[in-house]
Amino acid sequence: MTARYRITHKTAYYYEADVSASYGRMRLLPREQPGQRCLESSVTIEPDPGDHSQHIDIFGNRVDYMSIHEPHRVLTITASSVVEVDAPPSLPLAGGQPWESVRDGVGHTGGEDDVTAVQFSIDSPLVGASEPFRAYAEASFPPGRPLAEAVIDLSSRIHREFEFVADATDVNTPPETVLKTRTGVCQDFAHVGIACLRSLGLPARYVSGYLETDPPPGMERLTGADVSHAWFGAFVPGAGWIDVDPTNDQVPGQRYIVTAYGRDYSDVAPVSGVIYTRGRTKSLEVVVDVLGVDPSGPTDLPTPTS
Amino acid sequence: MEQFQSSGPAPASADPAAPAAGNGPFAGSPAGAPDADGSFGSGAAVGSTLVASAYRAGEGRYDEMVASGNVPRPHWSVLSGALAELGTQELLGRQQEAERLLHEDGAVYHAYGAAPGPWQPWKLDAVPTIIPSGEWQRIETAVGQRAELLSLVLADLYGPRDLLKRGLLPPSVVFQHAGFLQACQGIRLPTERQLFTYALDLGRDDDGTWTVLADRTQAPSGSGYALENRTVMSRVLPSLYRGANVHRLEPFFRALRTSLASVAPRGVEEPRIVVLTPGPLNETAFEHALLSSRLGYPLVEAADLVVREDGVKMRSPGKLEPVHVILRRVDGHYCDPLELRGDSQLGVPGLVEATRRGMVSVVNTLGSGALENPALMRFLPAIARELLGEDLALPCVPAWWCGEPTELSHTLEHLGSLVLRPISRSAGQSSIFGAQCSVEELDALRRRIQAHPERWVAQAPLALGDVPTLTPDGLEPRRSVLRTFAVATADGYTVMPGGLTRAAPSIEPGPVSNQAGAIAKDTWVIASEPQVASSLAVLGGPLADESGELAMLSAGAAENLWWLGRYAERAEASTRLLRTVHDRRNEFQGSSDAPGLAALDLLRTALTTVTDTKRTESDDPWSDFVGILVDDRRPGTLAHSVRSMLEAAHAVRDQLSSDVWLVVGQLDRKLTRLRGRTDLRSPELQGALQQVLQGLLGLSGLSQESMVRDLAWRFLDGGRRVERALQLLALLRSTVPASPSGVTGSLVLESVVTAAESIITYRRRSRLHWHLETVLQLLVLDEDNPRSVASQLAALTADLEAIPRVGTRLRTDQRLVLEATTTLRTCDPAGLVNAYGGAHPVALTNFLATIEGQLRDAAAAVERDQFLLRLPQQRLTDSWLG
Repeated sequence: MTARYRITHKTAYYYEADVSASYGRMRLLPREQPGQRCLESSVTIEPDPGDHSQHIDIFGNRVDYMSIHEPHRVLTITASSVVEVDAPPSLPLAGGQPWESVRDGVGHTGGEDDVTAVQFSIDSPLVGASEPFRAYAEASFPPGRPLAEAVIDLSSRIHREFEFVADATDVNTPPETVLKTRTGVCQDFAHVGIACLRSLGLPARYVSGYLETDPPPGMERLTGADVSHAWFGAFVPGAGWIDVDPTNDQVPGQRYIVTAYGRDYSDVAPVSGVIYTRGRTKSLEVVVDVLGVDPSGPTDLPTPTS
Repeated sequence: MEQFQSSGPAPASADPAAPAAGNGPFAGSPAGAPDADGSFGSGAAVGSTLVASAYRAGEGRYDEMVASGNVPRPHWSVLSGALAELGTQELLGRQQEAERLLHEDGAVYHAYGAAPGPWQPWKLDAVPTIIPSGEWQRIETAVGQRAELLSLVLADLYGPRDLLKRGLLPPSVVFQHAGFLQACQGIRLPTERQLFTYALDLGRDDDGTWTVLADRTQAPSGSGYALENRTVMSRVLPSLYRGANVHRLEPFFRALRTSLASVAPRGVEEPRIVVLTPGPLNETAFEHALLSSRLGYPLVEAADLVVREDGVKMRSPGKLEPVHVILRRVDGHYCDPLELRGDSQLGVPGLVEATRRGMVSVVNTLGSGALENPALMRFLPAIARELLGEDLALPCVPAWWCGEPTELSHTLEHLGSLVLRPISRSAGQSSIFGAQCSVEELDALRRRIQAHPERWVAQAPLALGDVPTLTPDGLEPRRSVLRTFAVATADGYTVMPGGLTRAAPSIEPGPVSNQAGAIAKDTWVIASEPQVASSLAVLGGPLADESGELAMLSAGAAENLWWLGRYAERAEASTRLLRTVHDRRNEFQGSSDAPGLAALDLLRTALTTVTDTKRTESDDPWSDFVGILVDDRRPGTLAHSVRSMLEAAHAVRDQLSSDVWLVVGQLDRKLTRLRGRTDLRSPELQGALQQVLQGLLGLSGLSQESMVRDLAWRFLDGGRRVERALQLLALLRSTVPASPSGVTGSLVLESVVTAAESIITYRRRSRLHWHLETVLQLLVLDEDNPRSVASQLAALTADLEAIPRVGTRLRTDQRLVLEATTTLRTCDPAGLVNAYGGAHPVALTNFLATIEGQLRDAAAAVERDQFLLRLPQQRLTDSWLG
């Protein structure tokens, strides 16, 4: 069974003073990957950028690059896409192996998967291993426990023991602080999960994407459904990734759409850039809309709403 | 530059029988030593005896000059003989000459955190070191082999990463390293070799075997200093240099030029090349400017460059110039705030994207710093066998990567005798020498290693060879490191013959690095046949021949030239005014001459007004006089103008003749030496003002007589003209309208005309009579007087006309200068003067203020429209809500 979504992600920056030049990188379009197909996609930028191109980064994410060289006070970036998501496969079999065997193999098994395992197990710009995270994770990782079970348990604990509080944190809040205050948003919880896994010597990734905005009949609306969402995953060489969403205590399934993954938020920020101006950014508006549509219907894009 | 240290034993303590100070190894040379620097082929026998008797090689280390028994090695016998013939005193004299030449060239090195000033003179030993041709050929081949291998590794790290997948290189060695830039995945140069320039630090093992200490691949420094060393040595020891058949350095720099052009993106016929520097405060800024001027490419800072849809551009006055190749001296991760370090102010946003699309070639490639990894050195021998099918010709010091459990335990067991290096190096971070650590320090180090073992490498210490180095007591053995340089060409790597030898700053054990005060030595690779000089490189001329490249001027350079002109002129005007006021003070202070004292008081007040230096609280108006001369922290003072002028000059040293340092290099020190003086009658004050004026006149003469009238000169001259006019207008406005008629008025007018350097002309025209109208005619309206306001406006008009503009309309700055010119030309001087020949205060003040305002606005327009490179840089971030 396949689900189809129309996704609109609009980001608008309002500046106090003229911005003379603006450079941006956007990771706003769904990934092409097993179980997920992007049927249509576009990124529209206002004012019209003098330069706009797209490339694939080291993690396989689609990245849009743009630059604007005319003075402007408002920047609007609208990403639209139609994506199909297959019903999720069952958890990788290798997730059944004891977590220690995955840990002990990192860096020693060779081959492409081992390169990936090392790349995601060492400290990244925003998330590093440390003793407090190891201590926190310990309860979910008793000796010999299957990795998948341990990771799902860790995710459930973060869901239970941390409180979702908007505006309590920002992009500069270190995961260590979040661990102490036990408050944050989905990006923070993903970082906490990654820090826990890396502190145990396990490879972990950060995943950004979307949730279906309106729940199917009879299902609860998920937190983070009207903004871009984030979760995390553990890597099992030879088998693949086990992703979990600590914000909603879910194993991501058909209601999740993946845009990008990386070592932490800094690898996959939906929009990042450099601007030249004397003023501040007055406000930032982000609107995300993920609509379930008839999988057998036409694939034309939704008209961007302004 | 990284430092190295030997753990070898310190040389035996001074032999009590050794000659005393001033009576060193060469003290035995015959009285009346040759006045030239001796010549090859003479005195070998004498030399060997003397060296054998006085030079003491360090124990347990290889000595470059002497073999066991203190016998000169065959390739040294001639030089050591010649040096002996010259004698210690003569060599010390040559050393001073070398220091003088380096100073004239402005050769400096910036040691981080160094006191008092940031600039340290570049230290060069007057005794070169020698490598014979045969030995050099082996080094050259081995450096080339290593460069080829590293080039393959670099291509793999940012490409398929087979070395990691095949287990030849542990992934964490790469991914843990700060120099590995994920954003640069897949970026390649259009040429075969991906490692463009390469430097390799070599030291001698105790048996003399050349051994690899470190690879330099980020943006290797030192080749420019090696060139400077050679330039100076060829003048300090000319006959020795000529006689020694030393391999020339120019072929290396020619290869660098050719390669820079060939690395341009495909399809570019005449590539535009620039040298990217972090700025004049960087530790090796001198070298950046030297390379840029010798190679003939503009020196730019990040703010001079901008990435557009069709490529990288250089901001130039009035237009954007395309740039195809960037020789970068900025560390990779600082080069693009968009994709690399977001807080970098030294980068060009979009540069990674521009290289990704192949619109520009950055060399070394962004990410090349990943090879500067001591852990990589540990795995390189096996990689060489795999990729090249051969062993590395140069051995490495034995190394242990702590990411391997067995190597970790070896390291921890032998911590006290190893050198520990973090795999990623940051500025100022040095290796840790176990032998020098206390027990507590070793424990702390052990804990640091155990916390992140994969981030550490242990190396066996290397003895390092000794080079004979000049001291006041004669030659002393000093541990040394040789940095060699290579550049990729179509056929392989071209290696600079010789390189940069650095000797330890003292005979005691300690690091050998420029940061630690090492002394450079010219490195002579001795050929069997005479070497033919093939270019002007040694004499200081540019290697470039394409005039188009030389004409490229960045907006940043234009700005510094403009301010160089303005500050030089401001300093000159202040000097003349200070001198004039000081003369008047010597004449009248303490006398009972009432008109004289009134004139003096008025001039003293004008000095404060014109220089815009607030008076101090003191009742004595003269208490601040010396402050206006020497207080370089206060804008408006002479010392501040001189310092600002020198800073601007440093920033555009690639545009200036080295004679500039000859005339102005010392001026700031001359002024600071006067600090704390209170005796205004001291002849030292007048002396210092005289010297400053001489220097400034020298600079002015150079810019008039030795600079091509290109765009660069236009900005320098334009700045000078604007400033001269503004200074004169301010002086007139603050003296003449307020001045009474009579004797006081005449004294004031005479002083003003003197300070405006027009007294001779005035006397010729008017004898001894002081008429305001004549003064105004001469100083303001007369276009034939090169010191007049009118004359400055005419020159400024021509300078601004030379700046490219869009369309035919005048720019704002041009319009304002035209208005000022019209104000001046339509003025009736009679209307500014009252019926008694004195000033019509309101009319005159208005007139002067109008022109001054128009000129100030014109200058502001130039500064805003031509130089303003970019607004403050900020990061754009996304929302943090999920």
